[in-house]
Amino acid sequence: MEEILVVDGVTKRFGGLVANNKVSFSMRRGEILGLIGPNGAGKTTLFNVITGVYRPDEGRVIFKGEDITGKPPHVITRKGIAKTHQIVKPFNDMTVLENAMVGALFGKRAHQITIGQAKEIARRSLELVGLADKADEFAVKLTLRQKKMLELARALSAEPELLLLDEVLAGLNPKEIEEALEIIKKVKVERDLSIIMIEHVMHAVMNIADRIVVLHFGWKIAEGTPEEVANNPEVITAYLGDPRYALRFVKRKGGGE
Amino acid sequence: MAAGHDNEMGTKGSTLEHYLKSPTLLILVFVVLGILVARIMGMSTLDTIMTVMYFMGIALSLNIIMGFAGYVSFGHAVFLGLGGYAYVLMVYFIKPLADLQNTGYGLGAFLVAVLAGLFAAAVAASVGAAVLRLRGAFFAIATIGLDFTALYLFKAVVPELNPEQFFGAQIILPADRIVEKDLVFNAMFLTLVILLAVNYYIRKSPFGVGLTAIKEDEDAAEVLGVPTTMYKIVAFTLAGFFTGMVGALFSLNGGGVDETLFNLGHSIDMIVMIVIGGLGTVLGPVIGSLIYFELYDLLLVHYPGVNLIILGVIVAIVVLFFPEGLIGLLRKYRVRGVRLRDVLE
Repeated sequence: MEEILVVDGVTKRFGGLVANNKVSFSMRRGEILGLIGPNGAGKTTLFNVITGVYRPDEGRVIFKGEDITGKPPHVITRKGIAKTHQIVKPFNDMTVLENAMVGALFGKRAHQITIGQAKEIARRSLELVGLADKADEFAVKLTLRQKKMLELARALSAEPELLLLDEVLAGLNPKEIEEALEIIKKVKVERDLSIIMIEHVMHAVMNIADRIVVLHFGWKIAEGTPEEVANNPEVITAYLGDPRYALRFVKRKGGGE
Repeated sequence: MAAGHDNEMGTKGSTLEHYLKSPTLLILVFVVLGILVARIMGMSTLDTIMTVMYFMGIALSLNIIMGFAGYVSFGHAVFLGLGGYAYVLMVYFIKPLADLQNTGYGLGAFLVAVLAGLFAAAVAASVGAAVLRLRGAFFAIATIGLDFTALYLFKAVVPELNPEQFFGAQIILPADRIVEKDLVFNAMFLTLVILLAVNYYIRKSPFGVGLTAIKEDEDAAEVLGVPTTMYKIVAFTLAGFFTGMVGALFSLNGGGVDETLFNLGHSIDMIVMIVIGGLGTVLGPVIGSLIYFELYDLLLVHYPGVNLIILGVIVAIVVLFFPEGLIGLLRKYRVRGVRLRDVLE
């Protein structure tokens, strides 16, 4: 199958701190890739390198066969990569619909669509994430769950092929997590997306991801199916701690489906 | 064929229909007509009307970068000064331009003012690329620095240009280089109409949506695909261009120019008018400048000497208690189920 993204030997330093150290992996079109690791492992930094917020010190990022390393974020967004923020960043003084419209107006079809068309795209994204009835509210009035879904709707409005989700489940209660996972599965199919998700809610990412990449202190220490990763001794010691705990995730995955 | 065309217009809503439904546009048309009527009926002196248009013009110019993109330019008077000096120096030294400015019922003066505006815009574009990397207070301070740099540059250079005629940095245009005030009015009026149209267009365009996104959260805007650097520079350049034009015509109206045009007070006038009226809207600076002008005038007449102190207190109260300004306040409410923000934007 076609490779949609190749991260090739990416190193990103902040002064003496090496946030990403020769990180390499690739993903196929249509995959859901989980990106896990303890706090400070370099996950968000890697997202910022992929989306062009940071320029890597070494290495390349290849999207659909094209080298996009160091291109500015707005150019990369237009090529078809969208991201949700770990800390939600809604445009508070705009309505929910207008927030999503920004995604549409400057996304894949930037400068090719009218305000009216952007409105339609935005409305469909809001419907997908279940925010259609909040369209005319100001974003500042939303709950955290709704703000997270707005981040998702805004990213979807850009009509991306690759979606980067940065802890979209963090801070949600178990019921909300279930709902959010259903939404993610649904949009993946409907929009024919490839998804990379950074996630600390372990059972969720183990459930939904096809493959997992594990970062630790900037290094990639493991890559594989959720079962392989959960049974990897290095991952268990570095990240999950208790081996029995790790096995529980795998069992839940078996039981859930 | 014609029927089908009508049908399409009916379902999608014609552009004209859209504009007729927009009360903002109607209000703007009323303001413009109000100025014309006041002028033709002689309801105010020409100088009063010119002052109102000047206030409205500088508020609408700064609005493009401050109101929409949220970048408060404290030294924006620099473009007033650059435009004013560019205009006066051009017609002082270049005979063809001096001849041009008296032609076409004010169109000539308008064209020379466009040249002056382009000079201000060129400075804005080249400086903008550097100072727009700064945010918040740092940007405000950088533009003040620009203002002072320009002020001292002109104070040093202008007297050298014609030592016998120029007194310091002040230039008084000789009789054969000035324009009849009726024509200056026409040029200023045309400038104001264009400024209103540009503000309105930006507010309704993807460019305006992008600027608003920058105001709300610049990092999020960039990741969402807004070309933030380019948009900021374009907005700053447009703001510089129109401020320069208004400064040019204001100077022409006064028959000359001096360094007081660079005063920070002018920058503060612009900012206060936008804040009183409401940031991020077209009506804000229009209403804000009318209120500010009235207040300024009333206080000057009734409380001479302490007028600026009272004005300062009023401004402080507005900023403390109504930081969103008049339009910003109103747009949060509904009247009989109609959201005012739909009406006022």
